[in-house]
Amino acid sequence: MKALMYLTRQSLVNNLKKAIHKPATLLLIVFLTGYSVFIIWALGMLGKTMQTMHFDSAQGLVVIVTLWSLYIFLGNFLAYASRKGIVFRPGHTHFVFTAPINPKLVLLHSAWMNYISSVVANLLFVIGGITIFGIAPWKMLMFFLVGCVLENLFECSLMVWLYTNENLTENMVKILSWVIKGFLAVITLVIVLYFRREGITLVSATAFFDWPVLQMIPFVGWNIALYRLILLGPTMLNVIGSVLYLCSVLGMFIVAYRMKCDGGYYEEAAKFADDYAEMRKKKRNGELVTGVGGKRRSFRKTQSSYQARGAKAIFFRQLLEYKKEKYFIFSKMTLFSLIIAGVMALSMYGGVKDSGVPQFFLLGLVAYVTFIMSGYLGKWEKELQNPYLFLIPDKAYKKLWYATAMEHLKAFLDGMIICVPIGIAWKVAPVYIIQTIFIYTILQANRLYMRVLAQCLVGDLLGKTGQNVIRMLLQMFVLGIGIVIAGLIGLFVNPNLIFSIVIVYSLIVTAIIGLVASVRFDSMEQLV
Amino acid sequence: MLEIQELSKTYGKTLAVDQVSLFLPDGQVGILLGPNGAGKSTIIKSIAGLLRYKGRIRIQGIPAKQLEAKRIFAYVPEIPAMFEALTVREHIEYVKKAYGSAITDEEIEKILKRFELDDKQEKLGNELSKGMMQKVSICCALAIQPKVILLDEPMVGLDPKAIKELKDVVLELRNQGVTVLISTHMLEMVKELWDAVFVMDKGHIIGAYNKAEVGEKDLDSLFFEVTGGEES
Repeated sequence: MKALMYLTRQSLVNNLKKAIHKPATLLLIVFLTGYSVFIIWALGMLGKTMQTMHFDSAQGLVVIVTLWSLYIFLGNFLAYASRKGIVFRPGHTHFVFTAPINPKLVLLHSAWMNYISSVVANLLFVIGGITIFGIAPWKMLMFFLVGCVLENLFECSLMVWLYTNENLTENMVKILSWVIKGFLAVITLVIVLYFRREGITLVSATAFFDWPVLQMIPFVGWNIALYRLILLGPTMLNVIGSVLYLCSVLGMFIVAYRMKCDGGYYEEAAKFADDYAEMRKKKRNGELVTGVGGKRRSFRKTQSSYQARGAKAIFFRQLLEYKKEKYFIFSKMTLFSLIIAGVMALSMYGGVKDSGVPQFFLLGLVAYVTFIMSGYLGKWEKELQNPYLFLIPDKAYKKLWYATAMEHLKAFLDGMIICVPIGIAWKVAPVYIIQTIFIYTILQANRLYMRVLAQCLVGDLLGKTGQNVIRMLLQMFVLGIGIVIAGLIGLFVNPNLIFSIVIVYSLIVTAIIGLVASVRFDSMEQLV
Repeated sequence: MLEIQELSKTYGKTLAVDQVSLFLPDGQVGILLGPNGAGKSTIIKSIAGLLRYKGRIRIQGIPAKQLEAKRIFAYVPEIPAMFEALTVREHIEYVKKAYGSAITDEEIEKILKRFELDDKQEKLGNELSKGMMQKVSICCALAIQPKVILLDEPMVGLDPKAIKELKDVVLELRNQGVTVLISTHMLEMVKELWDAVFVMDKGHIIGAYNKAEVGEKDLDSLFFEVTGGEES
């Protein structure tokens, strides 16, 4: 244990020391300060909303706690059952799993982040409980103790049981996962349908969450019963549930304590560590990552040949790679675009259509998606990490163009997926829909070239986050000028010119930025 | 002493290692040879306790998964993985604490100096090159003062000076009675080190030889003789 404590302590200290000397830390502090202000403001708003909806009572807190318990408990259960709930690093595989340290201890120690999250969440509940929901402090103290002590004890025991249980076969875990996922999906559907019919009020919420069956669900329901006992006072049901919960915590603890463990779980933990490291690497590169690990990617067999000289070969090689992909050039971004299209088309249907200027709403939406989203990085980003790119005997701007051409095509298709359904639903004239698709494609190209430019300007000095901030500021500045010009001409000359001006201006600006950014394709060495 | 009896390991439906047995007494250097996919890494990871397996593995007579066995066992993986936020020295301090090693500060300094890490003690894990990580990994393994040491492709990424130093270290360990098992493709690098060789193919040991028994035959000849390949 001493060695593990040393490991954690030194890592924290060194990380802090390193952070102090990094310029990116300053950016992070500014961001966190802003975020804290936002959280305080959001809490205030939440309090007001709770008051308006008459949610500012013990009943209101019970509703939130019930939801929290259901989703968090079952979510954690799922993660532990598939042996993915605790973050291990490749360093653990090398230095910890092989060391003479009790594997149970390794497990309990490695979950320290989970304990901190739990304490923070419970502290927020205590603050909210006293300030927003008007609960007596002693009750919230009891609540905190249950959350931090009993719940963590149960969770740790469960974690040990699930990780070290060698009788739990892969198939059993799969079945269990599907049952829990199914249960969560059904609960979510019931909640959505119920509140859609009844409306979100304290009366409707209380009626739903008072449903006795919820307190009868083994473990999680009994846990909810204990919270109800503390917050609302005793009833026959919540007293029985609370007793059952206390017994289950004790029982689970004894089972976990007596469980034999020789480190069998290290096999999955080592794989998780590798997958997690891979996921972090992808995230650092700005790729859209939705999970850790997963199945090995399979590629389709394809027979095609291409003849291309110079930088053009980059495009055709990418095309060949995409042909081997399961979904060709369609990715998570395509799915995301479809969801945006569906949600926006349906949710804002009435208001936008009647505004008289639905085309501007569409333009605004497209601009928002381009600026806010983390964006998609295809194969072009990896080209820059490949030394062969720089050896191709061709001009830098051509390399940039052919390395990114497929991304423009992808952006064009995604733009169509977003704009066509929304445009039809909002009754936008076809000419504006087409123009907006082009604007989306150009803005995405602009964003992409800005990214390369930001890499040139700041290099690794500010990290990926710093590069993104610089990219956003540059893009906002450059495109902002265009928007102002288009807005002024629209206002004083002819509003119908706005789309054309935006297209022409952003096209010229993007081409210039592209030319400047192509320097990055000239030499592997960064400018900074 | 390292003892493996009827070791089998499957990944899903694939049998990676099938009923493998081997024995390496105290003070001997064993070499695990075989083409890619032969099952060497699976055996090594099983000994290191990173995989579930069927069969028995004993270190100095103690089942390998017991903490007493781990305490006297060191492992140098093929791809070293450092803790990003720990310095070179802190990696060794951690190992010292975890294994309860009696190694002194002077001995640590000596090891670090041998592998030219004495001036890089304050470097963080994520600031090291692959070769340097390999050196740190070796130093950490030596800081355990083990009775059995496992080296998986230890020469990869090392500079000539470090390779020479490592060879000397292996011979010193052998003289101190430590059991050394090395998995490698680089036959040339281990030709003056080995006492026993185990040639693997498709999850089986297809040949096991002792230096004393084979006389003047070198490792290359033995390997190609048993695998049926051609000596270049």
